[in-house]
Amino acid sequence: MPDAVQLSQGAAKPFVIPGKPFAPEDEAALREALKRCSPSTFEAAVQFRKTGNPEHLPAVVIGVIERFVEPDLRIKLKDADDDLRLIEDLGIDSLTMMEIVILVEDVLQMSINNDELRNLRTVGDVKTFIDCKVRGLSLPKPTKFLPIEQIAAIMPVQPPFLFLNEASVSSNGANGKYKISGQEFFLQGHFKDNPVMPASIMLEALGQLAVLYLLEGASTEPGKVISPNTIFFTGCEGVRAHRVCRPGDILTLSIKPKRMKMPLATFEGAIRVGQEKAAIAEEITMTFGFAEAVAQPVPVNGTAPKLNGENGSHSPTPLRAAVNG
Amino acid sequence: MPRVYITGLGFITSIGNDAARVTTSLRELRHGFELYPPFQKPEIPVKVAAPVREFSTDSTDCEDWTFPSRYTIKREVLRGMAPHGVFAWCAMQQAIEDAKLSDADVSNSQTGLYAASGGSPHLMGYMLQRMHSVGVMRCSPLGIVASIAGTVQFNLVAHFKIKGSSCGFASACASSSHALGFALDDLVLGRQKRMFVVGAEDGNMDAILPFAGMRALSLQTDPNLASRPFDAARDGFVGTGGGVVLVLETEDEVARRGVKPYCEILGWGQASDGHNVAISHPEGTGLRAAMENALRATKVAPEEVDYVNAHATSTPIGDVSEAKALKAIFKTPAARPAISSTKSLTGHGLSLAGAMESGFCALAIRDGFMPGSAHITRLDPECEGLNIIRSTLPAQPHIAINNVSGFGGANVTLVFRKAG
Repeated sequence: MPDAVQLSQGAAKPFVIPGKPFAPEDEAALREALKRCSPSTFEAAVQFRKTGNPEHLPAVVIGVIERFVEPDLRIKLKDADDDLRLIEDLGIDSLTMMEIVILVEDVLQMSINNDELRNLRTVGDVKTFIDCKVRGLSLPKPTKFLPIEQIAAIMPVQPPFLFLNEASVSSNGANGKYKISGQEFFLQGHFKDNPVMPASIMLEALGQLAVLYLLEGASTEPGKVISPNTIFFTGCEGVRAHRVCRPGDILTLSIKPKRMKMPLATFEGAIRVGQEKAAIAEEITMTFGFAEAVAQPVPVNGTAPKLNGENGSHSPTPLRAAVNG
Repeated sequence: MPRVYITGLGFITSIGNDAARVTTSLRELRHGFELYPPFQKPEIPVKVAAPVREFSTDSTDCEDWTFPSRYTIKREVLRGMAPHGVFAWCAMQQAIEDAKLSDADVSNSQTGLYAASGGSPHLMGYMLQRMHSVGVMRCSPLGIVASIAGTVQFNLVAHFKIKGSSCGFASACASSSHALGFALDDLVLGRQKRMFVVGAEDGNMDAILPFAGMRALSLQTDPNLASRPFDAARDGFVGTGGGVVLVLETEDEVARRGVKPYCEILGWGQASDGHNVAISHPEGTGLRAAMENALRATKVAPEEVDYVNAHATSTPIGDVSEAKALKAIFKTPAARPAISSTKSLTGHGLSLAGAMESGFCALAIRDGFMPGSAHITRLDPECEGLNIIRSTLPAQPHIAINNVSGFGGANVTLVFRKAG
């Protein structure tokens, strides 16, 4: 499990198998509750209730979601990746979400607060959420979806040198998309009568996604915020291009943080076009710093809030990054 | 003042689930009563009801419900509905088709919807029981929306994308007549151009049996005798449910769309007994005043009225009270209108009654008949002198009125006239 970010409100009690063993009447009640779900959902729920083994959870959760999705959309869940969105892709509104929650609560014998639900946007969010609840872990930061307007508002880099159309950012990393429009100014010369996306620009796009992660996804000490004006590229390793990318191609970009220690953050990155690998970077490293002054919550004792030290004189604490593995 | 017409009807009732079947039942006096299976228990003395056929909505789980295959209702729509929401939804579909309304005609700022229902005691009871047994956070998220009075307009307004006026009326058995009356006013005042008026009730065990406590229900075990308004041996009403939708439009809309209306809805009147929370005034003073007000407002003389669809529910007190009110209005014995209570066929639909029976009046005027008052073997002597028709007359009423009376002594009379 990733070093999940410290979210105080989401901290849940560890899941406890109820004192009494899973009885035949419990199984009957479970069967009734899950009567509109697939048999495998019911089986997984029985196994979970008998053993408490969280390995059975994804099958239960996906089975319950599937039961509430309109039949013609259920196919999307068949080989769903974790980025499948509940509202946009599956047509689940907030009331249906409540129905899902109530059934999950009933089946898994847990309770879920409204606050905890607000940030569940994807199938992956839901799986992670349930997993954290059952294991008694605190909850990761929710995935944020950023359209181009929001990206442009956040990023120091701007058009015509911004190579992200949309992005999603979570504590585990960031994903983005960029469509090569053919109107990019450098394609006029790269190459003569043969527009090809420069590999250096593809690396730039990955770097921009890493910047977006630092600004939106990375967890910092309370009250500390990474300043957009402090982030710069420092180096990269293991960059390979696998596919020529041309106008019309949609680049699917992803980055994951590997190491973060003030003032350096290192990421791995990859670009796909459809299912084809287009480019990878084993390491992209950026330097960053905190904003000079950030509004702080007013302390309880009523004294004026302290500001962060200027120019790093207040020694910064290493970020607690969410690092996979 | 613009004239207002009824241009579309939809029926889910105990005597038929479309206008054609309902017309046949009214003409041929075919009733909708049966020994209702949920009542056939020793501890339940009430045996007869008039349930809606072709629908199965007994389960508390809406996904168990079945309804005729011509209707498709998505789960996300169904989950916020009571049984009578489904009846109303289907009647709404019929009414829209019947009135030949396009999507744009239905969804615009000039088209509204008024509805009446008593809510769903069945679902409310289930929801509260579940809340107490499994906890407040595990109630169905839409349990409230599906069960409180108002559920009909919540659902229909949202799903049919109604943009104009919408609200519900709660005057018990007078509710949907109030809805019709105020819808008419909104059209006359130019606030709207078109109004849907909906009456609906579950008509199941939990909707009907609470009336047993006040001894309002017939204990007859013969479905052919249980509902017999104006008969000397009547012993209470028989419960029913369903959904009825009427489309009301201004004359400009009727002309613009080139549709042929059923009839004109001429006006209405109301008055209250100020007497008892549940019992009609013994002299029918409120209902008499409602009829006077309606006739005055529409400038119709009593002798011009051809047909009265009476409220008469087959209760001992209520029917006599109405008979007295009718005698007070229609004084000239020779000019007394044909009177019948179609509750002798349908049973009493509570909030549904006014809309359902106004729909019957519209059918009668368009198709040229006056439905008889069924099941009278010996007329109550108190009702003698009134022209209570025991069989259907093949004559077109030019002017018909519909009476309703609700709890608290609310009385409404609506006046309909042959179109043209």
